[in-house]
Amino acid sequence: MSILSAKRLKKYYGKEPNIVRALDGVNISVDAGEFVAVVGMSGSGKSTLLHMLGGLDKPTEGEVVVDGYELSKMSDEQLAVFRRRNVGFVFQNYNLVPILSVYENIVLPIELDGNKVDKTYIDEIIDTLGLSEKRNSLPNMLSGGQQQRVAIARALATKPSILLADEPTGNLDSKTSQDVLGVLKMTSTKFHQTMIMITHNEHIAQLADRIIHISDGKIIREGRGKK
Amino acid sequence: MGKGVIELTYLPYILTGTAIAALTITILCCRKYAVDTLNAVEKILDHILAKDDSLSIGIAEDDRVSKLAHKARRIMDIYISEISQARKEKETIQGLISDMSHQMKTPLSNISMYSDLLIEGSLSSEEQQEFLTRVKSETEKLQWMTDGLIKMSRLEIGAIQLAPVKTGIRQTIYESISSVVAIAAKKNIDIVVSPFDDIELYHDRKWTREALNNILENAIKYSPVNGSIEISVEPLSLYTKITITDHGIGIDKSEFNLIFKRFYRGQNTKNYEGTGLGLYLAAIIMEKQGGYILVDSKPFEYTSFSLFLQNCKK
Repeated sequence: MSILSAKRLKKYYGKEPNIVRALDGVNISVDAGEFVAVVGMSGSGKSTLLHMLGGLDKPTEGEVVVDGYELSKMSDEQLAVFRRRNVGFVFQNYNLVPILSVYENIVLPIELDGNKVDKTYIDEIIDTLGLSEKRNSLPNMLSGGQQQRVAIARALATKPSILLADEPTGNLDSKTSQDVLGVLKMTSTKFHQTMIMITHNEHIAQLADRIIHISDGKIIREGRGKK
Repeated sequence: MGKGVIELTYLPYILTGTAIAALTITILCCRKYAVDTLNAVEKILDHILAKDDSLSIGIAEDDRVSKLAHKARRIMDIYISEISQARKEKETIQGLISDMSHQMKTPLSNISMYSDLLIEGSLSSEEQQEFLTRVKSETEKLQWMTDGLIKMSRLEIGAIQLAPVKTGIRQTIYESISSVVAIAAKKNIDIVVSPFDDIELYHDRKWTREALNNILENAIKYSPVNGSIEISVEPLSLYTKITITDHGIGIDKSEFNLIFKRFYRGQNTKNYEGTGLGLYLAAIIMEKQGGYILVDSKPFEYTSFSLFLQNCKK
């Protein structure tokens, strides 16, 4: 069952003759529970693609359908609510709130949606991600790998159907990357999440069920992963 | 003045009357809200019952009903994905059976052909010997394949649940090395283990040994005579990484993901015996205990398989 699909997706910046085709007719379909890696060099359009899929940016042409909703038909307010409930984001530079503790950062999106915190679930996430001891620390007391794990926990907190990760290990050394990736894969399986991960590192992409290669805003190759 | 007194005496009644009116209106409003909400909930439940996933109640609105609708959708999504998962598993098993029968065909028809020739009896004793040896080696291949398939089907159908427990990894590694020492010795290959502190990891010893064995056997098979294989153990913060490195024929980058597929044999392995099951099994075993496996290689320089197992919580 396809949970996310993009059809003839285009994103152009500027005007002829200086037009930049960041995305140039991309078609993607992702099944529920699938782990897809999108691999490409910097400037290939992979981050633009992720922003479109997550409803962070609007395409010039084409449509994105997530869980039956066509994003282009939504107002900005509806998009904000949609993202909060359906999509978890993990970025390269963690984006944690510096004055909030690890726990407060993790439950922030739940509180923003005006919901009660499901303590058992949050404790399970914190435990799975090896953050139990750091619960009350401030982000600047943590290593890069730990900060990224907090960001992953925060992305999982609202039980989103889709997890979008943009170079989640971009700022981490190779050892820490392997740790963080293992955890990303394990948690997405455990909590029934569909995951799309952007990376320029093919070695890391090995963990995915499917690898999509993108170059100059187009999909150039699509290969099955390990399965 | 008298009029005013009358008005004052009526005041409590007027107040009570207003209060009752306000209360009635409030009750009516509450009732309407409750009825509306219940109707919406009923509509949501109807959708679930009808397995209709096109729930169109303002899903991205900032109110309670929209939140409910959203949660209902998530529940449906999870069930639908579980159903499709089950369907996929069924397909995998069907594919497995068809692959299996296909893979067994060649050795079986070879055995049949060689034995026909032997029965005919027109062969010299040298030729007889030759064909008997071939029958034996084909039988061994079949044996090997059935062993692999049995293990694989058990894992895949879920008949065997891995039981990861907190236990030292050193013994697991040593047990698996000792089971391949003999075949390594035949090619005069050294297996060098970098010193490491024993560490308790969540793993199923028997199956992890199986995964390690498969990788070690490959390393030996694809290594040159007098080669060496290195094993290292390195704890990370959440996982521990066990790396097995050989310096044999190697694997091209384009094949990194393919080699873990069932029955896939590397482009450069035509001259080596194999079933295409070993790495597939190893990958499943790692996945079933919450770990994973990565490969890195430069042909004729090195090939490293890294197995990641979860550390135990302190």
